[in-house]
Amino acid sequence: MLSWRISRQPVNSVSSIHPQQLHRLHILLVDSDAHMREKVRQALGAGFTLSYACSLEEAQRFLAEALPDIVICEMVLPDSSGLELCRLVRRSLLWQHLPIMLLTSLSTLQDKVAGFEAGADDYLVKPFDARHLVARLRLLSRIKHLEFDRG
Amino acid sequence: MKKVLVIDDNPTIVELIKYAVNLQGTYQVSVAYDGIQGLESIYNERPDCVIVDVKMPRLDGYQLVRCLRGDARTADIPLIILSALTRAEDQMTGMLSGVDEYLTKPFRPSALNQAIERVIRLTPAERQRRMDALLQNQAERE
Repeated sequence: MLSWRISRQPVNSVSSIHPQQLHRLHILLVDSDAHMREKVRQALGAGFTLSYACSLEEAQRFLAEALPDIVICEMVLPDSSGLELCRLVRRSLLWQHLPIMLLTSLSTLQDKVAGFEAGADDYLVKPFDARHLVARLRLLSRIKHLEFDRG
Repeated sequence: MKKVLVIDDNPTIVELIKYAVNLQGTYQVSVAYDGIQGLESIYNERPDCVIVDVKMPRLDGYQLVRCLRGDARTADIPLIILSALTRAEDQMTGMLSGVDEYLTKPFRPSALNQAIERVIRLTPAERQRRMDALLQNQAERE
């Protein structure tokens, strides 16, 4: 559970924004590590709907059925890579505007550049701070709305 | 001497920025001509402030800002966007990406130097408060 129910939080912090005030974002998390999936679930708390996929194939199956607001993807996947998922999404007429955040422990300059070149919108390096992840997801959602409005 | 890195693919603009920053006489200025070269310089030189354009080949200014803010090792580098994109939506995209100040071209040297002074003084806590305020603003829009 996120800390926005704790009254000691400063008035201007993210934590003071009640989840009801924000659009409930649907996140697809693509990561084969069960421990990491649980960490992200705990970080996001009540303000998000979270779905999971453990591989590129599962992610594709999921996206064929439902369109989340944001995809969070690990770079290293058992059957492929997060880069391949980025490319696949950007090539698809149906999914091309889907916001993608790469959340990974790969942190070299080359990894990051490859991520953005493949079509990622954001790149967050593990270990992540829960509050930072929540903030970045909200900001990314707004950025993509602005991009979409600009056409 | 504090280090300022300028990242812009237009050599004429780069010279103007270097001239403006050198007027202050307190910064050592280095230059990169695209986003990836800029990232390499940031990792190698650890500048005290980065001035970055938006529209650049290979990696644009928004991506560069998000790339830096998404890694704890570079999340608190002072960042200024200096761009010819002047619409409110462009500026908002820059701020949401995590830049500390968004200035537009043409620019006044004094305005640029004042912005550098401000962002260099920002603390991580102040940067966090700004992000919180942006999120609060988003919540009110929704």
